[in-house]
Amino acid sequence: MNNYKFADIYIGLEQAFNQKITADMMDHFLEISGDNNPLHTDSNYAKEKGFHDRVVYGLLSSSFYSTLVGVYLPGAYCILQGIDIQFSKPVFINDNLKIFGKVSYINDAYKQIEIKAFITNQENKKVSKAKIKVGVIDE
Amino acid sequence: MTREEIFNGVQDIFRDIFDEDDLVLQDSTNADDIEEWDSLNHINLVSAIEKEFKIRFALGELTALKDVGAMIDMMVRKLK
Repeated sequence: MNNYKFADIYIGLEQAFNQKITADMMDHFLEISGDNNPLHTDSNYAKEKGFHDRVVYGLLSSSFYSTLVGVYLPGAYCILQGIDIQFSKPVFINDNLKIFGKVSYINDAYKQIEIKAFITNQENKKVSKAKIKVGVIDE
Repeated sequence: MTREEIFNGVQDIFRDIFDEDDLVLQDSTNADDIEEWDSLNHINLVSAIEKEFKIRFALGELTALKDVGAMIDMMVRKLK
């Protein structure tokens, strides 16, 4: 886990990591969220709707934005204060995602940083993007 | 930039952050007057104002402010 302190952070600082989506993750997300919409649970239904397989929950793939800030940027001293996500392409089981974030703004008075982040799949297509506000609690 | 222009710009930011299109600010408006003006929204306000007006605030400057009018007055000085 990274542990950037507020003084270490600068505009343009970036971090990235990779994450594969598994069927097991889908099962766990269903158990936690109770979202049993067939688009996520039934391959045949998803195919009827024009997708090649069931669609991964948007909030499952975007949960890695939490990992981005909580583990990588800034890491240990993070407190997530806001996130605005836009989805652009579906994610499927076995997709290999890359989660990327870069510091875009620093509020010195309140020790808050803003991170522009996005997730790409194995074809380097952007599946979502996010603006994330994070407090840095290093004192 | 005139005080009125700054005031109107700040009012637009308040309307956006508190999601109230008809919110009308007064110089005397403070956190007691807007229910959702909590600590996180306060940070959101300051960040939005810094970015929109391309100015920076120090924590000491902000803690001394008692209402919107005081904030606008400080912005007028910074934007001179």
